[in-house]
Amino acid sequence: MRRVASVRFLTVAVQCWARARAAVGVCARVVVGGGLVWGQAGPTVRQDVDPAAALRGRAVYTQFCVNCHGALAKGTEEAPDLIRSPLVLRDRLGNELGPALKRLPNHKRDLTNAQVGDMTHFLKEQIENTAKNRNPVRPPNVLTGNLDAGRAYFNSKCTACHSATGDLAGVSRRIPDAVDLQQRFLFPRRTKPVQATVAGVTGDLVRIDDFTVSLKTGAGETRTWTRTDALQVALNDPLKAHQDLLDVYTDADMHNVVRYLESLK
Amino acid sequence: MRLSFLLLAGVAYAQVGAEWPSYNGDYSGQRYSALNKLNQSNIHSLSLAWTLRPNPGRAPQGGGGTTAVTIKGTPVVVNGVLYTTIPDHVWAVDARSGREIWHFVWQSKGGWHIGNRGVAVLRDTVYVETPDCFLVALNLADGKEKWHTEICDLEQFYYASVAPIVVKNHVITGVSGDDLDIPGYIESHDAATGKLEWRWYAHPEPGTPEAKTWPSVEAMMHGGGMTWVPSTYDPQLNLLYLGTGNPQPVIAGQGREGSNLYTECIVAIDADTGKLKWYFQPSPHDTHDWDAVQTPVLFDGEVNGRPRKLLAQASRNGWFFVLDRVTGERIIGSEYVKTNWTLGVDAKGQPIPNPAKGPQLDGALVTPNQGGAMNWPPPSYSPETGLLYANAARAWSVYYLYDDGDKPEGWGGNDRSGFSEGMVQAIDTKTGQVRWSHKWPGGGSVRAGMLSTAGKLLFTGDPTQNFVALDPATGKALWHAGLHGNVTNGPITYELDGAQYIVVGAGDTLYAFVIRMN
Repeated sequence: MRRVASVRFLTVAVQCWARARAAVGVCARVVVGGGLVWGQAGPTVRQDVDPAAALRGRAVYTQFCVNCHGALAKGTEEAPDLIRSPLVLRDRLGNELGPALKRLPNHKRDLTNAQVGDMTHFLKEQIENTAKNRNPVRPPNVLTGNLDAGRAYFNSKCTACHSATGDLAGVSRRIPDAVDLQQRFLFPRRTKPVQATVAGVTGDLVRIDDFTVSLKTGAGETRTWTRTDALQVALNDPLKAHQDLLDVYTDADMHNVVRYLESLK
Repeated sequence: MRLSFLLLAGVAYAQVGAEWPSYNGDYSGQRYSALNKLNQSNIHSLSLAWTLRPNPGRAPQGGGGTTAVTIKGTPVVVNGVLYTTIPDHVWAVDARSGREIWHFVWQSKGGWHIGNRGVAVLRDTVYVETPDCFLVALNLADGKEKWHTEICDLEQFYYASVAPIVVKNHVITGVSGDDLDIPGYIESHDAATGKLEWRWYAHPEPGTPEAKTWPSVEAMMHGGGMTWVPSTYDPQLNLLYLGTGNPQPVIAGQGREGSNLYTECIVAIDADTGKLKWYFQPSPHDTHDWDAVQTPVLFDGEVNGRPRKLLAQASRNGWFFVLDRVTGERIIGSEYVKTNWTLGVDAKGQPIPNPAKGPQLDGALVTPNQGGAMNWPPPSYSPETGLLYANAARAWSVYYLYDDGDKPEGWGGNDRSGFSEGMVQAIDTKTGQVRWSHKWPGGGSVRAGMLSTAGKLLFTGDPTQNFVALDPATGKALWHAGLHGNVTNGPITYELDGAQYIVVGAGDTLYAFVIRMN
């Protein structure tokens, strides 16, 4: 259930937790999130991922841990998932992971504190990436349709209003990202106001609700009417036809047409 | 036909009276008030009584910043005092004037601050959940903290946003969070001490037949099913009714083949033991983030000439269900907006998802969109009309799969939304058909709750910042007030000194309207 939230971190405080220091032997950064607009997942005070340390940690992990815990630390039949591990999630700079490695059987007990610390950066990076993986990734390829079928669909269904050599000439140059092209084909943006006629007056629709309707007339005047049962209101929204088509398109139609539109360089 | 008026801990089973003592006003979740001083004959005399614009700038958010103020909670009114919230904040204000009586601020340790659904009140105590996973008990009179207890693990990226509810001496809490793969649950806490009494997880016990709806114990134990919305409750059956949220990973479902019980379920839970009595699953194996958490509304009716105790849900996936709330048997299942994601229904009457309309690497065109045909805002049911009212949406989006590996985690995909149109759907609980539909004229949809009253009024918000009253029998628009933002909570009503108040939240402001009889 949710939202796209904006998160900004204004302050990065250098903190050294006593337990983290005891475990790792160094003083490392822990982020204190400040200026939270919507907050963030998890605790405010957390380990700031140092990319260089995470890279070193990946090497340590690959050497000693990957066979059992898997390439992305998601676990195997041999060993648990470390992204979902409460111990790793609680850990700050090895204060939990370090003692656990010494305690658990069949684990590398003689890693240095620096190696453990680096590895926590790698694991925290995996966790943070997982927690954010709804948004930054893009679908790999939406150009899976059939070009000829897309052209045929376009010529039979779309040419009453559109033209490959007119309004849509070079559309894929204007919208070079194929995912954006797919979205814009399905859900075109409004480029002109809705035309409306109210009580015989025609103009651009400014606003309508159940109680009032406002138009901007050709003279530039904005007129508002109180809506009653007797007041005649007629709207002409060119996007309505596109909205109705959403009940008609198959996914194959969608992919074929996008493939064709992408060819209109 | 109705159950008798039964007063328990200040909250009645059905029909809200002069106060609004809990999230839904009563245990039934009908959000129907018996008050009728305000009615169709005098609605145009409704006037503004007061506004409250909480300013958390005066009360910094834990972590040093400030939170975006959106009032999503339903206020609670007891003994002339109104309690309202945003994350980390509770205000007690005079319900006649909106003047502050006290203001409680929680120093947060983190968590999403997307909203707080409100408080529960029992005798001299106010209960609230915090984004950083605490249930906090406050002194009713002055807002001083009595105790707090941890209800979830912030380190695992849980947080808390739901309004607690009080049943007998139990405080029932829910949890939120869908960033990582963690299981949802509800808990019961002793109202006096906060001590944990039981916890019910939204997954089966390993080894049970229901556990076979997951490919592995590990997938099941990390399978989500958050409890975002407060339960309803039948005191005679002593059963709590709630919906559970989406399975995890949210979009990429290939690592959790099966129906994924008890995510996306309507469940009946014994209030004293936390034991599951029955379940019904509106969205088996969901891959669209369609939490089935919409309030399960309780009412009584006749089916084939026999009186039945019933439950209705207008679910986020676009389907409407009426169930027997004793057994969970499905009585009615129908679409309340047109959808395109099912292949029919199974033997229990549960929709069968069409795999082709799951997320795809190149996209699948799906309706409803991720926001759903309904979201969390509460619906209303009028026993006078037999209609359930939903501020609904017909919306489209393209669902994309980002992670097609064997073991995705987190989300692994998402949708990109497109057109959306909003309307109030009045759903006949006897047939499942939409009796009337009131489309918002300007297009677009809004997440606004509903309130119906014995004054033959139906209140909600439209997508153009109006607070509106409709005729519950026909959907005709009767009255409106233009606010500074769209309605963002469930409206309430209460009566004080012979005057009937209507209170609604829109963005950062609470608006109180009043009809005075003298």
